[in-house]
Amino acid sequence: MNIDHSKPLEYSTETNDLNIIGFWVFIGAEIALFATLFAAYFILEGRVADGPSAGHLFVISTLMIQTFVLLTSSFTIGLAVNAMRVGRKGATIGFLIITLILGLGFVGVEIYEFYEYVHEGLTLQTSAFSAALFTLLGTHGAHVSFGLFWGIAIIIQLAKRGFTPRTANKTFIFSLYWHFLDVVWIFIFSFVYLKGMM
Amino acid sequence: MRELFPAKQVVGFIASLVLTVIALLVYFIDMSFQLGMIILLLTAFTQAGLQLVVFMHAGESPDSDSIYVNTYYGIFIALAIVFGSLLAMVWGY
Repeated sequence: MNIDHSKPLEYSTETNDLNIIGFWVFIGAEIALFATLFAAYFILEGRVADGPSAGHLFVISTLMIQTFVLLTSSFTIGLAVNAMRVGRKGATIGFLIITLILGLGFVGVEIYEFYEYVHEGLTLQTSAFSAALFTLLGTHGAHVSFGLFWGIAIIIQLAKRGFTPRTANKTFIFSLYWHFLDVVWIFIFSFVYLKGMM
Repeated sequence: MRELFPAKQVVGFIASLVLTVIALLVYFIDMSFQLGMIILLLTAFTQAGLQLVVFMHAGESPDSDSIYVNTYYGIFIALAIVFGSLLAMVWGY
């Protein structure tokens, strides 16, 4: 393995470079996935059948909590990558743990929100609107939930092996994934929730 | 302690909070649907760009050209899917 010490560890080998660009290609595919779900939602958002509509359902307080929690987690994982670059292992793991706790909080609020929707009479089968809404929000929530397990695996590897080109590369790629989920949330926040409540 | 909180990331975070608050004005202030959508489009895409460049370090990889081309293509596909579907199925042309 040819390690180039002039670059940050996560870019220091050719394999690492290729892993990172490969992950960006995956993110490109994820953009297309979420675009189809958004398109379905925008087409079906008015078809509420006998169920509640977007304006009736959405609550500003949980939306603001979810948004600030996820934005902050995106910031803390950015700090984790920065700490990794200055070689501070403890700080890196600490920031990763804070990120995952915030992620867990986000998923918790989302589950609470789904529970409230069901109480309002909105289930997956209620209307075309509810099916599109739950599919879009659920796909994003499932990505965040998966990220929690991935993040735990990354923390264990960092704790056991320290910073190596491999673990640094994995940590950096996980941070790309996490930031991407935040980008998707920004669009859900703007064009599902705020548009629905306007 | 200072090295753990680089200015670029802190400013990026504050900017994303400010953009979120601006977007929330759409809810808290009474405005027309068109104006609201313009504000949301501007804040959402600015914020996405901020994440991409400040937090995802899209520009510093040796392959940054390929990464940008890939991302622009992804965004193009997303816009084509969303607006193409709306054009065909909602706006009724």
